[in-house]
Amino acid sequence: MARYMPDGWTLPEVNDLNRPFFTTGKLMLQHCVACDTVQHPPEDICRSCQSDNLDYVESKGTGEVYSYVLPHHPPNELLNTRIPYNIVLVQLDDHPHVRLVGNLVDTEPDDVKIGIRVNATWEEIADPNGGPAILLPQWVQAK
Amino acid sequence: MNGSSVVVGVGESTYYRAGRSPESEFALTCTAIKHAAEDAGIPLSEIDGFVTYAGDRNDSLRLQTALGTGEISFTAMSWPGGGNISAMPIQIADAAITAGYAKYVVCFRGLAQGQFGRFGRPALRQYASGDAAFKVPYGEASPAMNNAMPWTRFMHEFGVTAEATCSISMASYAHAQRNPRAIRYGQPLTRDDYYNSRWIVYPYRLFDCTQENDGAAALIMTSPERAADLKQKPVYVKSAAIGASVRAGLQTTYNEPYFPYNRRKHVADQLWGNAGVSPQDVDVAQFYENFTGSTVMCISDMGFAPPDGIEEFLGNGNIMWPNGKLPMNSSGANLAEAYIHGFENQLEAVRQVRGQSTCQVDNVELSLAVGGPGAPVGSAALYSNER
Repeated sequence: MARYMPDGWTLPEVNDLNRPFFTTGKLMLQHCVACDTVQHPPEDICRSCQSDNLDYVESKGTGEVYSYVLPHHPPNELLNTRIPYNIVLVQLDDHPHVRLVGNLVDTEPDDVKIGIRVNATWEEIADPNGGPAILLPQWVQAK
Repeated sequence: MNGSSVVVGVGESTYYRAGRSPESEFALTCTAIKHAAEDAGIPLSEIDGFVTYAGDRNDSLRLQTALGTGEISFTAMSWPGGGNISAMPIQIADAAITAGYAKYVVCFRGLAQGQFGRFGRPALRQYASGDAAFKVPYGEASPAMNNAMPWTRFMHEFGVTAEATCSISMASYAHAQRNPRAIRYGQPLTRDDYYNSRWIVYPYRLFDCTQENDGAAALIMTSPERAADLKQKPVYVKSAAIGASVRAGLQTTYNEPYFPYNRRKHVADQLWGNAGVSPQDVDVAQFYENFTGSTVMCISDMGFAPPDGIEEFLGNGNIMWPNGKLPMNSSGANLAEAYIHGFENQLEAVRQVRGQSTCQVDNVELSLAVGGPGAPVGSAALYSNER
C-alpha cells in the first residue's frame, strides 16, 4: 500500500523495543511475563511491576477512533501538497487502555469522527539507508 | 513560600513579531534584565543568581560578564519543557532565597525566533526516535497538533464547543488593546474574525494558536527584608508549584489513564494547599495560551470549573476586564501581547498586585499566573500583596 504521508517523510527509528511494532506486519504490543500487563509505548521495564521479563503479544487490531486532529497548515514544506490530512488516536478493543496514533488512510479528513470502527492495516516503506523495511501500522474503516 | 520571597523588579525588551528584532536574542535578554534592575532600583552588581527554563540559550556566565553583575551564588535551569514550566523559575528562586543561597535572583526568558527558528516549523528529520517514533511518521509533527488531540476528545466528552476557546481569544485580544507593549495593540479581534479565520489544525483556528515572537522578559526576586528598602511595592510569592501527575510520561503518546484532562491536578493541589486558599479567592489570573483548548482544560484542571461547566465559566464576559468575575490574561498574554514563552504572564501577574496593569483590577490581593498546559509538566505561581 502506498504511504499516506509523502515520500521522504519521517520514519520511525527502529530499536530493540519497537522493532516488533514497526517491522513485523502484526500489531505487536509489549507484554509483561511477570504480571501479564500489556503496555504501550514499550519500555525497558514493566511500568506496573518493574519486572524486566518482557515479551510481545499480538493485538487483534480492531478498535475505534478515540480522538483526531486535521492538519490544514503544513509545519514543513514537504507537507504543502499533503494538507489537509487526518491523524487519529485509536483505542484498541482487546487492550482498551492502549491508544495508538495513526492515519485513517481510506477516509477524507472531513469524514473522520470519534467512534468510527477501524481495523489495522500496514504500509511497507523501504528504508532509505538500506535497513530493514518499515511495516507501519495504519487504519482503515471496518466494513 | 507564604511570602518568604518577594518580586521587586520586572522588565522586558521591546516585543517584536518573529524575525523582526533588530537585536540579537542575547541583547534582548540583557535589556530585559537591565530594565528589571532599574524597576527594582538596584544596581546590576547586586544580582547574584540566575534562573531560567526551556533550555534558554542565554548562558548565566555570559550574562554576568556582559551585565557586570556580582559574584554568582546560585543558578538553575529548570526541568526541560517549554511554556508549561514558565512559572518554574519562580519556585526555584523562591527556594533559593528562602534558603539564603542568593540575595537577588533574576528569573528570565529570552527568545529571538528569527535568529534561531520557530517552534512551529520543526526541521524535517529522516527518523524519529523514542515516543516521537509513534507520532511523527504519521504527520503529527507540530505543537499545534499535539495540543489539539486532547482537545478534540475533551469537547466530545463534555459537550464543550469552540465558544470556550473563542472566549479565551477574545479576552486576550481585548485586553491587548489597552497595552502599548502588545504586538496586537491596535488590532482588535471580533467574534466573526475568530470564527472566519482559517484552520491551522482542526479543531484549532488561526486565533486559537499563539503568535511566535522575538523578545525577553525578566523579574528580580529577593527577601522581604531587602525588599522593604526598595523602590516598588513588594509582591510576595504566596505559593509556587510545579509538577506532573502520575504516569505523566505516557501523556506524550496520549496513553495516560486520565486522558484527555487532569494533567494539572497535582500542580493545583500543591498550589492551593500550600497557600491555604482556593481558586475562588483569586482576583485576577494569567493562563498560558499556546493553544486555547489546552488553556481551557488547564483552567478546569486548576479548579476553577468542572469540565462540563467550563464553557459557561469562560463565557458571558466572565473573564473580561473590567466587569468580569475573574479577568484573565489582562496584558494580552501569548496570543496578543507577546509569546515570550509565557514569562510575560508572570510579569503581568506582578503588575496586577502593584496596581500597574493597563487593565488593572481593583484591590488585588491574589494574582495567579499558570504555566502550561499541553505538556506533561506544569507550573503555577500565586502572588500576593501581603506576606
